[in-house]
Parts: sequence; structure tokens; C-alpha cells
Amino acid sequence: MIQIDNLTKMYGKFTALKNLSFEVPRGTVFGFVGPNGAGKSTTMTILSTLLAPTSGKAYVGGLDVLKYPKQVKKLIGYMPDFFGVYDNLKTDEYLNFYGSAYGLTADERSHIIPQLLELVNLSHKANENVDSLSRGMKQRLGLARCLVHDPEVLILDEPASGLDPRARIELREILKELRNMGKTIIISSHILPELAELSDSIGVIEDGQMVAIGSMGEISQRMRGHKLIKVRLLDQWEEVMQTLSENPYITAVEREGQYLVAGFNGSEHEQANLLNQLIRANYPLVAFSETEGNLEDIFLEITKGVGS
Amino acid sequence: MRSFQDVLNPVISKEFRVRMRSGKTPWVISLYLAALGTIIFTFIYLQTGNGTYFNPNRSRELFIILSYVQFALISFVTPGLTAGVISGEREKQTLNILLTTNLSPAQIIIGKLFSSISFMILLVIASMPVYSIVFLYGGISPIQLLKVFSFYLIGMLAIGSVGIMYSSLVKRTGIATVTTYATILGYTILTGLIPQIFRSFYYLRSTSRSAGSVPPEWIDWFYSINPASAMLTIFEGDSFIKGLPIDTFYAFIIFFSFVTAISLLLAIRFVKPIREPLLAKFFKKEI
Repeated sequence: MIQIDNLTKMYGKFTALKNLSFEVPRGTVFGFVGPNGAGKSTTMTILSTLLAPTSGKAYVGGLDVLKYPKQVKKLIGYMPDFFGVYDNLKTDEYLNFYGSAYGLTADERSHIIPQLLELVNLSHKANENVDSLSRGMKQRLGLARCLVHDPEVLILDEPASGLDPRARIELREILKELRNMGKTIIISSHILPELAELSDSIGVIEDGQMVAIGSMGEISQRMRGHKLIKVRLLDQWEEVMQTLSENPYITAVEREGQYLVAGFNGSEHEQANLLNQLIRANYPLVAFSETEGNLEDIFLEITKGVGS
Repeated sequence: MRSFQDVLNPVISKEFRVRMRSGKTPWVISLYLAALGTIIFTFIYLQTGNGTYFNPNRSRELFIILSYVQFALISFVTPGLTAGVISGEREKQTLNILLTTNLSPAQIIIGKLFSSISFMILLVIASMPVYSIVFLYGGISPIQLLKVFSFYLIGMLAIGSVGIMYSSLVKRTGIATVTTYATILGYTILTGLIPQIFRSFYYLRSTSRSAGSVPPEWIDWFYSINPASAMLTIFEGDSFIKGLPIDTFYAFIIFFSFVTAISLLLAIRFVKPIREPLLAKFFKKEI
């Protein structure tokens, strides 16, 4: 649905994007991670038809954003990292204005706006002035504004920045619902655990270049060269550590609270054998799972902090 | 079926709503009328202060003063209404969002201009009762009145377009507003001075020429694009502008319409997030 080919953007002598390439399949959520100034917002602004790249191509729904901006605008809902609202305009009027700006008829607007307000949990604020809403509510309203013309693609630049925990959780739940509705979402955030939970794939960008891309599991495995197996026990930590260490596919084992975390480079068949071995040994096993690791750790390992 | 709301430019309908809800709006209208009313009543008072009756022959004089004052107020208020419309959107970080909608840059610019001008027209219409005081005494023809109001409209459009052009070009509202005021003031002074300067140069160089030689007529044509002298021709005729192929009033209308069109085209170009080189369209096929 989104395709970026060798995208380069220069501001004078400064190169913000260096031959960036990636794809986001239809109906998936792509988490965009990177330090400040890495090029996330620049990429999103280009995709939103607001900025021309110096070279390279960006496509949304197969359409070149530079050649067909009008058609691309109909496909996308863009939420910038910072956006203002109009004074003296009520919440439903705000959405009504953008609905008409997207060419919806009055009938269509009167049908969709109450639904959107309900989706973002702002129905009770429909008659209140937009500038009186809290930051979290404004972010949710911004999301509703992105959805007013029912776009296939959502481009969300730091939608959770500056939100309190409750507002973040509420926003995350809405985004999950949008994912379930089949929207293609490209989202950047500094709140990495939430991004990891929400995204089907992650792209880590630094200094204008994509340094890692794939699902959390893929990135984690590519980085470490192995999977991570998490085992939760009631007791007998030392014995299980010993058993795991003796397995030829285990690279390392360490204890993290109630868990043993082990690096594993075997196949799924060998993973099943390991689980079978632990069960047969009658260890007090509570859980055995494959973990994708922690996006924060991956991020710190991959990026060098060049841009920050 | 599409309703009137669907056909109306969304920017205009939103701006109307927002502007008329603002607490500043009734104050602006009140102050505007107070300023005009003060001038009229001061003039009438000065004429009748010593116990005499108001001489209806002075009504024409009052109408001319009022027309100039009203145009000065329009020139003063219009940049304030228009020079912040695009830069204000930029400052509030709403312009980028607006530019990702189906609205074209032209629709945004035209919507902003007409909503601002509409408010100015509202001010002028609100001043009609004040005008009627003058009209009561006669001395002014309906054609002159129509010409004066057409003059206002064309003036508003041109000044408003220049304001919007600077608003699109300059990021800060303050700078855009000051630049617009400076341009309007500079234009008015320069177009008034240029004929004088040319005439002085002519006489300096013509000392050796035969006595009684007169400067070429085209020098005076500059007066037709100067708002002050162009407005004077509505009341006094254009006998002091010689050789102009068309009526001064129409020359002013044509020139200011041209200024409006150029300013709007530039504003539309400046507001576009991605601008093609000016001549790209013509060379595209060959590239």
C-alpha cells in the first residue's frame, strides 16, 4: 500500500533522508522508530504530499505522491506531530468543516460525524469548543479528523506525544480498533513498548537511513542471531538453567525475575523437543514462550544516537 | 442532492462562523461606525455650531470627505483582516492539515479572501445609515454613489489580495501585516509623486526648449492608478488627467483588477506545498 524507493531529501547541505526504501503492505501497521531528527517526520511529510523529495519515489496505493497528489490525498489521513485547532469552533463543527473540505455532502457528514465522535469517545464533547478540550481529547479529535473521509491509509506522526498514561491507553485502543478495521497505518512514536504492541512491522531509522526493518521477532533474531525463549517457573531455577545450558541449541541463559530467558537458534521442531524435555523432567513449569525481545533494547542496540 | 452548504467553499462558511462568533467583531463594527459618525457629526457641528443652519451645498463637500475617510479606513482595516489569514494558519499549525484535504490552494486563497472581504463589505453596509445622513441633503448623484461603492469594492479586493499574497509569502503575521501596510502606503505616495517628479525632470531638461512647452500627457496617467486622485475624478471629473484613452475611473478599475489577479496568482503559488518551476508546464513535454 505504501512504497518508498530510494528516497533522498536534502535541506541545503543537510541530508535528512539517504536512499530510504521500505514497503508497508495493505492492512498492516508499520511502526516508525528513530531518534529525533532521524527523518521520520520528513518521510511522513513526503507521503502526505506536503514535501517534495530531492530524489527517489514515494507511492501510496500505487500512486506517485509527487505526480498524483490530489488522488493520494483522498487515500490518506495525515496527523502531524504538532497541530493546532481553530478557536470559536465546536467539536462537531470542526469535523464538519474538514468533512466538507474533503468533499463530503451534508448528508454524508451528518451520518459519519456522530460515528467518528463515538469511535474516539468524544460524543459528550460534540458541542464544546475545540480549544477547550484537553490535549488527549484534541489528539483523539485529530484522529477523528484523519478518518472523516474514510481513508485507506493513516499517517500518524507521534500521535501519543505529550499524553498522560490514560490518554495514551485510550489512543492505543482506538488505533487497535482501526487496525481491526483494515486500515494501513504508518505511525511514529517514542513510546516503544506501545508501538511494539500495536505494530505488525517496525522500521528503525537513524540519520536518514533504515537500519532495521521487519517484525519484532525478525529484527530481534537478525540482531542477536537467535530467538529468545522465556520460561516461567515456580521453583528449581538452577536445575532448569543447567538443563537448558546443556541443550546444543541454547546460546545463553539468564534469570530475569520469575523468568529464565534463553537464546535459542534451533528450528521450531527442536524448540518443541526442548519443551517436551522440560515437561518430562517434571519441572514446575508455568509458561514457555518465544519472545520477540524488548523494542527499547533493540532500539538502543541498533541506533548509535547520531541524530540526537 | 447537494445543498447550498455543499456548494459553498468550506473555508468561507467556516471563516464566517468563526469570525462572527469572535468577541472582537462587534467592537470592530462599533468602532468603525463611531469613527465615521464622529467625522460627520463634527463636520455638521462645525457648520452649524454658531447657530446657523447646515448649508445643503456643503453636503457634497461632506460626501467627498466621508468617501475619502471611508476609503482610508478600508485601506487601514483590510490589511489587518487579510495579512494574517495564511500566516495565521501556519502559526497555528493548521495549514498543513488544510493542504492535505481536497481543497486546492486556489480554493483556500479565494475562500480566505472572500470571507475577509465579506466582513469589510459588512462594515461598509453598516455605514450606509451614516451615509444616508449626507445623502439626505442632496448634491450627490446615484451614479456617483455607485461609483464610490464600486471603488471601495475594487480597492478592498486589491488591498486584500496584496495582504493575502504577503501572508502566503511571509511566515509571520506581524511581518506580513507591516509589509502590506508599507506597500499600500508606498504605492499611494509613489503614484502621487511620480507625475510630479517626471514633470520636474521635464522642466529641468526643457530650459533650452521653446518657451511654453508642456510635458507629455502620459505623465498624468499615473494619477489614474493613484487611489486619491482616481477617487477625486468621481466627483470632479477627469479634466486634470489628459489624453487617457479611457475614463479614469475605468482605468483605475482595470489596473486594480490586474493587481488583484496577479496578487492572487502569486498567493496561490506561495501557498502550494510543492511548487513546480514557473515554466515547467511549458517545457514538460520536451524534457
